[in-house]
Amino acid sequence: MAEWRKYYPNEDDEVEEDEEDSGGDYKISGRDSLVFLVDASKEMFIKGEDGEPSNFDMTMQCVRSVYTSKIISSDKDLVALVFYGTEQSKNPRNSFKHVYVYHDLDSPGSQRLLDIEKLLGEKGAQFAEKTMGSGETSLGDALWCCSNLYSDIKLRLSHKRLMIFTCRDDPHRGDGAKDRQARTKAADLKETGVVIDLMHLTKPGGFDVSLFFCDIVSPPEDESELGLQIEPSRKLEDLQKRVRAKELKKRSQSRLTFSLGEGVNLAVGVYVLARTATKPSAVKLHRDTNEPVRTKTRYFHAHNGGILLPNDMKRAQVYGKKQIVMEKDEVDKIKKFDDPGLVLMGFKPMDRLKLHHHIRPALFIYPEEEQISGSSCMFTALLLQCSENNLFALCRYIPRRNTPPRFVALVPQREELDQSQSQATPPGFHVIFLPFADDIRTVDAHVGPTASDEQVDKMKEIVHKLRFKYKSDAFENPVLQQHYRNLEALALNMLEPEPIEDLTMPKVQMMNARLGPLAQEFKDLAYPPDYNPEGRPAAKRKTAESGGGAAEKKPKVEMSEEELKNHVAKCTLGKLTVPVLKDAYACKQFGIRSTGTKKQELIDALTMHLSK
Amino acid sequence: MARSKEPLVLCMDVGFSMSNSEPGQEPSFEQAKKVIQKFVQRQVFAENKDEVGLVLFGTDGTKNGLAKDGQYENITVHRHLMMPDFELLEEIESELQPGGQQADWLDALVVCMDLLQKETMGKKFERLNIVLLTDLNVQTSADQLDVIIDSLKKAGITLQFFLPFPVDGEDRADGGGDGPGPSAAPARPGKGLSRQQTQGLEMVKNIMTSLEEEDSLEEVYTFSDALQKLSIFKRIDRRPMAWPCQLTIGSSLTIRIVGYKAVTEEKVKKSWAIVEAQSHQRDDVKRETVYCLDDDNETEVQKDDTIQGFRYGSDIVPFSKVDEDQMKYKSDGKCFSVLGFTKQELVRCSPFMGSQVVKVFAPRDDEHAAVALSALIRALDSLKMAAIVRYAYDRRSNPQVGAAFPCIKEKYECLLYVQLPFMEDLRQFTFPVLENNKKFTPSASQLSAVDALIDSMMLVEKDEDGESVDVFKVNHFPNPQFQRLFQCLHHRGVNPDDPLPPVEPWLKRDLERPQAVSARCQTALQDVKTKFPLKVVVKKKEQKTSADVFGSRGAFLTGIFRSSGICSSKVKNRPPAHVELKTSCLQHALLFSDALTLISKDEVDGSTFSKQDANQVLIAYSLQVLRSSFEIFLF
Repeated sequence: MAEWRKYYPNEDDEVEEDEEDSGGDYKISGRDSLVFLVDASKEMFIKGEDGEPSNFDMTMQCVRSVYTSKIISSDKDLVALVFYGTEQSKNPRNSFKHVYVYHDLDSPGSQRLLDIEKLLGEKGAQFAEKTMGSGETSLGDALWCCSNLYSDIKLRLSHKRLMIFTCRDDPHRGDGAKDRQARTKAADLKETGVVIDLMHLTKPGGFDVSLFFCDIVSPPEDESELGLQIEPSRKLEDLQKRVRAKELKKRSQSRLTFSLGEGVNLAVGVYVLARTATKPSAVKLHRDTNEPVRTKTRYFHAHNGGILLPNDMKRAQVYGKKQIVMEKDEVDKIKKFDDPGLVLMGFKPMDRLKLHHHIRPALFIYPEEEQISGSSCMFTALLLQCSENNLFALCRYIPRRNTPPRFVALVPQREELDQSQSQATPPGFHVIFLPFADDIRTVDAHVGPTASDEQVDKMKEIVHKLRFKYKSDAFENPVLQQHYRNLEALALNMLEPEPIEDLTMPKVQMMNARLGPLAQEFKDLAYPPDYNPEGRPAAKRKTAESGGGAAEKKPKVEMSEEELKNHVAKCTLGKLTVPVLKDAYACKQFGIRSTGTKKQELIDALTMHLSK
Repeated sequence: MARSKEPLVLCMDVGFSMSNSEPGQEPSFEQAKKVIQKFVQRQVFAENKDEVGLVLFGTDGTKNGLAKDGQYENITVHRHLMMPDFELLEEIESELQPGGQQADWLDALVVCMDLLQKETMGKKFERLNIVLLTDLNVQTSADQLDVIIDSLKKAGITLQFFLPFPVDGEDRADGGGDGPGPSAAPARPGKGLSRQQTQGLEMVKNIMTSLEEEDSLEEVYTFSDALQKLSIFKRIDRRPMAWPCQLTIGSSLTIRIVGYKAVTEEKVKKSWAIVEAQSHQRDDVKRETVYCLDDDNETEVQKDDTIQGFRYGSDIVPFSKVDEDQMKYKSDGKCFSVLGFTKQELVRCSPFMGSQVVKVFAPRDDEHAAVALSALIRALDSLKMAAIVRYAYDRRSNPQVGAAFPCIKEKYECLLYVQLPFMEDLRQFTFPVLENNKKFTPSASQLSAVDALIDSMMLVEKDEDGESVDVFKVNHFPNPQFQRLFQCLHHRGVNPDDPLPPVEPWLKRDLERPQAVSARCQTALQDVKTKFPLKVVVKKKEQKTSADVFGSRGAFLTGIFRSSGICSSKVKNRPPAHVELKTSCLQHALLFSDALTLISKDEVDGSTFSKQDANQVLIAYSLQVLRSSFEIFLF
């Protein structure tokens, strides 16, 4: 079974290898920050028709989902929640009236999540009324207060964003002085690098952005961007999508040169649009204080106990009786073929791209005008012509220094918008990794009888009954969800974790109901009456075991040194089983670790000792 | 579960005709030797357990089990079936020499068959292989041919031929999609062959066509093919393990299936051990991991006094391994359960996850399952739909959601399973518009320049029959990483004191644009170059280094750092936030440096601090101050 386990390499190993990918330029640039500035006026609490949640409730649900996603995906980011238009005031120096800082800028944790939950639903509205109330509005003061929050932060912030949630398009009811002050303060904020977004909510009679807010929000990233969403967010889903699209700063994994040929180079950013989210690794804590503990790894000489510096060590591999030694940097250099970058090999029609040639999740590239000017134009021309002619570009890709090359297909994707005019698919090329010959296994196909038309038609009915519309974000990872629910329960001292809904489980009841008699009808067509597809060959194994085989099968085979040497000479050690090899170890007392050692390592070590 | 083996005999012609060569070409002997070397190199370093034997013919001596009464002479069994090892590599390098005789390659084939049969007696194996490398330039007696073919068939032996010339001049050069890559040396057509070679070639064809029903000639390669595309040795690579399971649709419809990993990223298997630099002994290096508190003294903590925790936002939640195991998500074993069916196009828009593709068949012995699975495959194919399934490899592994696509080939049908993303895996980024952006819209002439470039760089060409041929089949290339690693290991193993060799030219060539394409696209490329102005933007702000932080006094301060025993890289390697925070501290330092600069400006420009002996006293004093102030923030 060993081979199968390779199917699932230790997750840890993979993480280690990918570490560099995920970081992007995060470490250099500092932390992201996000301030939710939420209108707490009476209007926000008005419930929608048909028991739809109020704008305030919708906003709070949205804030909560951002908090949880931050906890899971980027726990270093800072988030703040500030209300304006409140009766009560609460801010660092209490210098602003009607501004209530519910959370100042900090990384979200379990307590903050609990705080948000207090504001949810019917009870939440009552709680908000009690603690904050609704009063006068001065957006200028609120913005000023937020700018103080930013300046109080001593950490380096890379990305500063402020989102205003409101359903009032004219918050000061024509008070020109207040409007002016708000505009000035907004301008000040923008000058310090804060991006201001408006998440406007439904208002009877429509939300008119041009009345006031068009002067408050930041201009779009570039002149051609769609800019303000004209339609307000009606549904929580819409709102969450809009917030999510803005909330994460897109960060390129790397910036590379894309060479079309000698002297024709453009710059592209490489983005990860999908990567397997894994459980974060555990932290070691001191038992008594729960303080995090750091680990230090040291190498020292076994005989004289001296600390070994990197220069005092080399790398080695053993093949049979031969040990091959290299310097650490030689081991790295072996992997170097060329400098990082994308190099165009040529073009191929899309039908040459095989669906089943998948070895790694794809990446995405978009031009980097700031690195090489003219990149965007060149890139757009390539994108248009490839997409027009239904072609992909084949490139050689070296992601970073001392990394061996892989070939990739650049598959063009043009921008598409959804009904609400937001971007459904961004413009750029998908970078699809192509397999080498080594990555393709030889599978001997099973050839069997094929189905008759009648059988196929019956199956079509079954397929038809169980149709659904697949969406890539429809399934949550139950393993991760359970993990975070467990942590949440422990962090918040809950008796037991909230149950998760495992969306990966088939809804058997519903499927059976939808199929009705179809399943039986198909079985009657395809299977003979006495056939039981559940009958596994496992039965055979059972009888073998019940015969006491397991106990008898394992007679202690102890190898004499002579025999072992024989094996070494003939290079047939590999034929022995691991327990035998381990026994050989134990009795010979070669003093080599035999636990957790791979078979090849056992063989190598044994060969070394016996051929001395 | 012991895996059955695939023993293989390499049978190489070392006769004198192999040493002949045309001007400018390497003799066949050298080419064949390289093929064998490359092959054994791969087997050794990939730690393939399949046994390999080596039979030479045309040798001066005779050493084989059949030699009797002047029969089977000049054939030497150089190595019996054994796991390939480094010694074999060394032997090939030093002992494999051209012989002065000629021997009948059919005789050699018989010796190989005899060797395989005798040495695999009573052992389990999947199939037997013989690889014959010869120029066919010898008189053969064909009278035994039928008997030989017959016993090859009976013994289930597969044959591969490697010849200096293509088996069928015209056909091989451009026919068949699986032909040699673009970089393969131009194949020498069938003319110019000796009478023996022509006759031999006929026999090779005869044997190969009798052994296999179709595509038989695909197992006849040229030496140059073999050298460049070692992947053709794949034939003898290991087969993936079968994964028996049941495909379920609801609770009442079950189909027995078997999955095989068909595509997966092959990684380097062996890791590097750490050895002591002088003794090269692994045991001389001991590794120790200590735990310490994050306080000033770095107080050490025993491993037993630590517990496990996880970050939950800003909190760290203690969560013991035991609790974690007890509370974690539990999967109820292996499964391949249909959740529903959906349009293929909806799935194709979604990113594919994971690192593998699984092919799903019905079990070999179960025709009812085959019929049921076939019905599903065909139904999905005609409806252009795919099954969305929950896939769990076993009880310990995490469940996945993936898509099973129908795949109908001429010879077989199967489902292809690929993993799909979970919601948590996706990042929705919005990118600024490109197409309707006035700044970036390419002009008509720019577009036509790109069109011309694309035309000149197509990697798919039409052959005489109008069939399009892919001239750059990436999936036929061996991963250069392995080739390079094996080359270096081999080299270092043989010459422990030499520096590593450069990358082999053919390997480099494989990574370049095909020469024909490269030549063809020059004009179009020049046109693109003139029509698209591309200019590297000069950076205003590079990553901040100490020099930026300290301004023009950087060199000077670096000098101070060095002399004061504080490595300046320590400053560079700190996250900028850290450095920035401490700028105020630096201000003090800079005051000192200003004072110093005033005193000895000229010397400072030379940036060698030691020159400044004139101000030694003052400097010594300020150094001490600086040092203490730096240490505060660096440690």
